[in-house]
Parts: sequence; structure tokens; C-alpha cells
Amino acid sequence: MTQSHDQHTEHIAVDDPIIEVRDASVTYDEGTSYVLDGVSLDLGRGEILGVVGESGSGKSMLASALLDAVPDPGLLSGTIEYHPDSGAATDILELDTEDLRALRWEEISMVFQGAMSSFNPTMSLRKHFVETLEAHDEDVEAGMDRAHELLEDLYLEPDRVLSSYPHELSGGMQQRALIALSLVLEPEVLVMDEPTAALDLLMQRSILLLLDDLKEKYDLTMLFITHDLPLVAALADRMAIMYAFRLIEIGQTEEIINHAAHPYTRALLNSTPNLDAPLEEMRPIEGQSPAPINMPDGCAYHPRCPLAEDQCRTEVPDFHIVAGDHGSACFNWRESYDEIELVHLDDGERAIPEGDRQ
Amino acid sequence: MSEPVISLENVEVHFENERLLDFGNDPETVRAVDGVSVDVAENDVLSLVGESGCGKTTLGKTAIGLQRPTHGSVKYRGHDIWEIREGNSDADLEWSDIRTSLQIIHQDPGSALNPNRRLLSILSEPLRQVNPDLSKSEKRNRIYSLLERVGMNPAADFADRYPHQLSGGEKQRVALCRALLMNPDVILADEAISALDVSLRVEMMDMMLDLQAEFDTSFVFISHDLSNARYFSSHGNGKIGVMYLGQLAEIGPAEQVINEPQHPYTEVLRWATPDLSLDDHGEMPMRKIDIPDPINPPSGCRFHTRCPKAREACTRANPTAYEHGEQRVACFREDDTHEYWDSPELTDD
Repeated sequence: MTQSHDQHTEHIAVDDPIIEVRDASVTYDEGTSYVLDGVSLDLGRGEILGVVGESGSGKSMLASALLDAVPDPGLLSGTIEYHPDSGAATDILELDTEDLRALRWEEISMVFQGAMSSFNPTMSLRKHFVETLEAHDEDVEAGMDRAHELLEDLYLEPDRVLSSYPHELSGGMQQRALIALSLVLEPEVLVMDEPTAALDLLMQRSILLLLDDLKEKYDLTMLFITHDLPLVAALADRMAIMYAFRLIEIGQTEEIINHAAHPYTRALLNSTPNLDAPLEEMRPIEGQSPAPINMPDGCAYHPRCPLAEDQCRTEVPDFHIVAGDHGSACFNWRESYDEIELVHLDDGERAIPEGDRQ
Repeated sequence: MSEPVISLENVEVHFENERLLDFGNDPETVRAVDGVSVDVAENDVLSLVGESGCGKTTLGKTAIGLQRPTHGSVKYRGHDIWEIREGNSDADLEWSDIRTSLQIIHQDPGSALNPNRRLLSILSEPLRQVNPDLSKSEKRNRIYSLLERVGMNPAADFADRYPHQLSGGEKQRVALCRALLMNPDVILADEAISALDVSLRVEMMDMMLDLQAEFDTSFVFISHDLSNARYFSSHGNGKIGVMYLGQLAEIGPAEQVINEPQHPYTEVLRWATPDLSLDDHGEMPMRKIDIPDPINPPSGCRFHTRCPKAREACTRANPTAYEHGEQRVACFREDDTHEYWDSPELTDD
């Protein structure tokens, strides 16, 4: 075991964060069950960060926490600092209602899955844009010019879409119109929670390409939350993996895909159907992830982990530095390379020389 | 080759879309399925893939006798389903037998399970229909062993639960058990794994394939995800059919369709399927994002308005299927001598 030589840290920081999340937790039942458990995470200015987790991993709770919008009676603790391009940093959790309302659309905007539930079915799309602009005291004429441009950026016909009611548009058009609406107040950050999950793959992939274009054109920072690891791998600069309400691995996308250093991430990669991996090697992850009221002690993955040992059963690992800004919350991350081969890599690429990993 | 279990010949399903407050005009016709021929063999695994609105669900429902075709025939072991259903056949088969043999599981299993009944009661119903003579304890034993088989342990505990006490994946397993207890010849799985987490899909597909061998059944597997269709059909030695606006663009053995796609639309779907290679997938290989309205499908080849390889000739005639090895491909590019090759490329300007 080489654990003692490992460097470890409580969080992986970036050079120029636009949002710094520190020790964010959400509890219910007077603190007895955690649905977000001590997450620390930096969102770098101008990056696209993909947050990946299964249903019930706490990834949507993280999105809500970023905007202090945790559903009642959840209790959110920790700090969430927002660093605007100019001016002083603010702790989002300290803002009053009015400032929070302004921040939510003008600085940090959100898009959820299923556009239909975000739109008012009795209002035309134009009215949605106008009301949003008015509610934030924006010049409506200038704002609608921006709306036209955004809709065109998203391959929509602005006049046709604006005069439509939500149900008159296809699912893919609705979701793109919602993205345009979320950007009409020129926010710095776009947080998206499964924004394409209800759509077919071709539309998902098309929207991802458009998001990449939008990010460049409008200098956006994006946080993209999904259960679909391969989908976001094509878009994200960095990826963060969540398991059982905690962040368990974070790193550059290439690092995560080719050198994942957490047994869960490696199992997740191997469980994903794709077109390239040999069919016979894909396999599901054994067991189930824990419920909030039934969290195991130590590393939450230890009951399913082939590498688990005594330390894992009692102690929650912090981030072990794998390489540069790649961190894995696993005591045995080195062993995971040998124990769990990544099936999507060619045989020659699978063995990673130890020296290259530090 | 033995006789197919289901045989669809030149099937069309057109819906009349009556428009409110628009009395003067003719009703609009939605061409959900427009001239499809395909067979489902014994122990077959046929996957149908395509975008939302391509007609794959309508075709699946037509194949199991839930949707009446407006043209063409749907045969079950050589007998026309709709003639039997309407009593116009002298075949020695009842509609109720066929209906039992052709089962469906939906994307949202929650809505298909009675919320007020326990699993034991939900799963007893199909057994009562198929085996009216089974004793209560025999029924219970069969249900318990099947629940265990799909990983719902302890079975007695699960059998006592109501649907709302199950996870999404567990509900889907119950829906699968219920279909299997009817001893079906074919199960239509309509986006049956799409609502599950990516990490749970392989497990569910493995289970369906294991049980297929055991119960001697065929699957028609509908998905918008080419990698799931590949996993399912390749393991089951079956075919993938690629649908576009009511027609089959390409159909063939799963690995061939994935590895040597012949139709430009299959290549587009392949592009859209995420993988872990991290190569730059480049520009979108389609000229338009949105699928055209099936009420008014484009003339000629229906894909010509978005196809990256479309030429003038594609606007004039709708290609019929060309044989390409074991694949069937509806594209003029299959014909080396077609006027396509001399006609100018289409552009959108």
C-alpha cells in the first residue's frame, strides 16, 4: 500500500472560480438524513463542468443549492460564493429575497428537464420573454432583439416561435426556446439540470453542439447535470462524479474518461452501453446505491466496492491527488487501475504506467 | 427459415387529424407508418430506432395487433390478425389467443400497474388467464420464483408490496414479469429502458435477454438510442431497423448496421450516439435540426431536406429498398447507375 505517500485535500480548486461551493450540505428530518453531504466544488470562469450522478445521488440538490432554492423543509448549510467579473464576491446563502431574485436570472440562470413544466401553457412564447424582461426592469425592445438573436442561434425561426404557444412546438423546440429564455437577461452562468433528458438522442446531441456555440459566443460558464456520462463527455471541459450525495471524483474530461481513479467511476464507465466497447465486456454495477436514511459509515461506496478494506468502512476519504487537478475520494485509487479495467479503451491503453500518473 | 411469428407486409397507418374550427377543409392525414414490410422470427430480437415522431411506436403497436393498419397486412403465424379479429377468417385461431401471445411493456410501467393492488394480485391475473386450473399455492410459487429470477429478493416481501413502494427499475421488472407470465410469443418493449439511469440499462437488457431464452419469446425493442439497440439486438442475434418519417431507411443484422451503416440517416444516428472516444465529432452532419411534419412529408426521399448527401434526384422519387448483403437500404446511393450520381447537390441557400 502506498497510501501514506498520497497527497490529499478537501477540495480541488481552480485558478479563477466564478462559483466556489464549500462544504454544502442539505439535511432533512432535523439533520438526521443528508441529501447533499459536504460538497466542495469550484466552477471555473468560462468552463463547462459536467456533473454526473445516478438518480438519487444528490446532483439535482446541488443545482438547487447553487441558487439557494432547496425545497422546504430542507436545510442548506455551507457557503456558496459567487465571484462576478467585476466587483466583490457574494455569499449566495447570505442574500436577501430581492437580491436573490435578481441574481437568479441576471447572473445565474437555470434550465430544467421538461420545458413544458417551465412554460405557462396559456401564454405565447413572446409573452414569456416580455414578462421576464419586465420583471427585471430591462428595456423590452433591446431585450426582444436579443431574444431574436438567441432563437436564431438555436436554429429556431424567431417570429414563428414567439407567436406560438408552448404546446404548438415540438419537445426539442420547446427546450431550445427555454434555453433562449434563460439567456435573455445575459447571465454569466447557466446551470442545467438534465436539460435534454426527455428528448431523443439526435436532438440531445444537436442541442449540446448549440450549447457549445452559445458558450463561445456569449462567454458563458456552464454547469451541466446529468445521469448520462457519455453524453456530457462530448461537451464538458471537466467532469465531477457524484455518488450517494457526495462528490467522489473530479478532473479534466479526458482524465475521467481514460484514467478514472475511483472504483465507482470506473464501474460506471463500464456499465454504459456504447457503440465501440466489445459487447461481452459491458457489465452492470452490482448492488444499489444507498438511501439517505441508510448511509453506510466511511466511504458510501464500500458495500459495492471490490477494493473495500477496513479503512474504507470507517473513514470518509477526502480527495487524493491523482494528477494535477484530478482528485479521487478513494484510499485505493491506484489499485483501482489494475482491479477494474476500462473496457472502452484498447488493450494497449489500459495499463497506465504508475510514473505517468503523478 | 421457419415461418415468422409476425409478418408485416407493406403496412400503412394513416391517422385522420380532424382539426377543430376548420370545417371547410379536408382533414389532415398523418402518415405515421407508410409502407413498411418486416418479419419477426421465433426468438428474434428486432430493434426499431429513430427520432421522436418517426413512427416506430405506431409500427410496433401495429405489429402486435394494437393498431389497425389502414393498408397492408399483419400476419400472426401466417394468419391475418385483423381478419381473425373481425371473424372473417376460417383459421383455427381465436383473437384472444393472439392477444395473449403478443404483449407490451411501456416506457412508464407505473401507469400500467394498478396502484391499489399488491404485486401478488397484479401478477396472479395473467396466470389466471393462461392457466385457470392452477391452485393458489402453485400460482404463488410461480410468481415468487419469477420475482427472484428478476432479482427482486426476498420475493415474498416484494409480492406483498404496492407499485408505489417500488423504484422505477423494479416497476419495470414487474411489468416484464407480468408480460412473461402470459407465455407470449412476442413482447413489444416500447422505450422500456429509456427512463432508467444509464448505469441500470445494461442490467435490465441482460435480464430481458436471459428470460427470452428461458421463455422462448421474441422481442420488438423500440428505442431512440442506437447503443441500446445494438446491445440488445446484437446479444439476441437480431436486427436493427432504422425508421425515418414512417418508413424503414435501413434494416439489417445489428452489428452490420452499426459498423457499416449504408444509409446517410443511419450515419447521422451513429454520430448522435455518445461514445467515450473523445474524438472531435465535428459539425452536425445534417442540414436541419428539426424533423419535418409527418402531416406533410417531403416529396421524393423523405430525408432529402436534412440529408448531407442529398442531390436533386432525391427530391423527385422515393427510393425503394436496395439489397446490400443482408441489409436493406432505401437510398439511391446503393445503385451505381442511378441518375443520383449525375444530379447536382442540394444546398439550402
